Amino acid sequence: MILSLAWKNIWRSKRRSFVVMSAVAIGVWSIIFMVSFYNSMMGAISRNSLQHDYSHIQIHHEGYLSDPGLDFQVKNPSKLLEFHSQISDIKAVSGRLIVNGMVASPKTNLGIQVYAIDPADEAAVTNLPSFLIAGDYFTNIKRNPILLSQKLAEKLKVKVRSKVVITVQDLEVNIRAGAFRVSGIFHSKSPRINNGVVYLRHQDLSKLINSTDTSFNEFAYLLKDNESLIQTKKKMEMKTKNLVRTYREIAPEFDMIEEGSAISKQVITVIVMLALLFGIINTMLMAVLERTKEIGMLRAIGMFKRKIFLMIVLETFMISLVSAPVGLIAGFLTNVYFEKNGGMDLSQYAGALEQYGGDAIFYPEIAQSTYFFLMLVVIITALMGAIYPAIKAVNLKPLEAIRKV
Amino acid sequence: MKVIELKSLSKIYNPDTIPVRAINDVSLSVEEGEFTAIVGPSGCGKTTLLNMIGGLDARSEGSVEVGGVSIQDMSESQLTTFRLQHIGFVFQAYNLIPVLTAKENIEFIMVLQNMDAKTMQERSDDLLDRMGIKDQRDRRPSELSGGQQQRVAVARALASRPKFVLADEPTANLDSGSTEALLDIMAKLNEEENITFIFSTHDQRVIDRAKRVIMLEDGVIVSDEHR
Repeated sequence: MILSLAWKNIWRSKRRSFVVMSAVAIGVWSIIFMVSFYNSMMGAISRNSLQHDYSHIQIHHEGYLSDPGLDFQVKNPSKLLEFHSQISDIKAVSGRLIVNGMVASPKTNLGIQVYAIDPADEAAVTNLPSFLIAGDYFTNIKRNPILLSQKLAEKLKVKVRSKVVITVQDLEVNIRAGAFRVSGIFHSKSPRINNGVVYLRHQDLSKLINSTDTSFNEFAYLLKDNESLIQTKKKMEMKTKNLVRTYREIAPEFDMIEEGSAISKQVITVIVMLALLFGIINTMLMAVLERTKEIGMLRAIGMFKRKIFLMIVLETFMISLVSAPVGLIAGFLTNVYFEKNGGMDLSQYAGALEQYGGDAIFYPEIAQSTYFFLMLVVIITALMGAIYPAIKAVNLKPLEAIRKV
Repeated sequence: MKVIELKSLSKIYNPDTIPVRAINDVSLSVEEGEFTAIVGPSGCGKTTLLNMIGGLDARSEGSVEVGGVSIQDMSESQLTTFRLQHIGFVFQAYNLIPVLTAKENIEFIMVLQNMDAKTMQERSDDLLDRMGIKDQRDRRPSELSGGQQQRVAVARALASRPKFVLADEPTANLDSGSTEALLDIMAKLNEEENITFIFSTHDQRVIDRAKRVIMLEDGVIVSDEHR
């Protein structure tokens, strides 16, 4: 009956209960929305960097990190290309020959990184062709095609089929220059690539610097999923004497993004929960003070303090039990809505988002466990909110309480 | 058999500042089956005396024995158990739980006593029947008249099978018809089932029906009339 009484007590002041329940539901909904939004934003930044720039795993010569260039090419590259067939978790591999150089147009010249690639392999790893906004993917120009980012093209004031000159150092540290024609202009999701990477065919750069077709200083591997990252790295390490690094080791900012994101989400949750906590305390305190006389009567006729305490706690528990799922469902439906309707379009902030490698369209992302976690957090918050009013209730002296008008 | 025995009972408010003796050296005993009214002008100490008998207020001096058990040294928890098991309370303002029906209000105290559902059901039905409010069983207090609410309150007081019922001005908020009806029920319970009732009242209709009238003035018993 105490359960039933607690339930009925909630509905004594429908408006007040509705307000506190709405506050809990809106709080829960807002956390889900913000967490989904945050996950989507951070996820996009990480994903874009991972898929379109770093890939899951990279292999370099051990000396490459201290002296990136042609001197430290990967050992036994043909074997590295075979990993694809040996390790099932690898989805695609792209061998790259990366050199620093200059690109010059009739208008200006810029310092850049030249990525000499096999177009098909690179497409499989970074999906580079999907970022083309003009021209073609190395097919429209027969001799020395080059891909430039939109940003570089604008700076160089060149268009598709324009000529640019690439200047690099060869293996003997001689300056070599070659004329290339713009095959395509891309806009990558990686700010780093947009800011200073040009793509050539491996064979064209090899010819320019007099190296072989098997000269590579970077191998990038795309895995089927992120789960097998460490396992795959270990497998690779057993098969090569080159340096094998995951994207987390290559770019520590991934960890920073994830940690920062986790902290932000926790802070948001704590702020909302604190607001709810005080809302619940206030509401329950009002409920107790309104029922001072009745609680006094209950104590007088023989209701133990612990049962009064339980009754107040149950009332709060029930409030959270009713309202939290409403917020969870509302949050879930909001996410479903955005998923089914093309995401949340923030194109007006696209420029700012692209600076960080984010997407302009947000697709809410939230782990199912977040719903359960939130439910638990709300219940714990509600129970914490019940403690003070419940203590107030049990400390009422029956006689004094009954005398209250 | 003595149900209540008060020996040199006193209640002093503000003992350290301006002491006020609300009850002054009161000694009395109440036998089982008495229908006693404690009367007197407002502020004479009727309610204070009832509260001390009921273990709701602590005595300053003297002793209170209920059913041969001294209650003054009981802990708060023991007093709660004691009230639950041995005393039925009827308040002037009914003090029913507004969200429960008449039947649930009666059963609530039996829930606190951990009575089994069947016994609880039978007892509440019986009490509702005897109070003449069986057809009001599913109504909430706000849907009942003052008289009906006070009958529910009496039924609740009796539901726990107490040693006695303490009723503080039970008819103060009732019209004469409701007062007579309530007194009829309580008198009948007293006569037929030997239930002990102790009222504080200044309602002449109650005083007229009482078998014993104790007159208090300034916290002192000035008369004790057995009829």
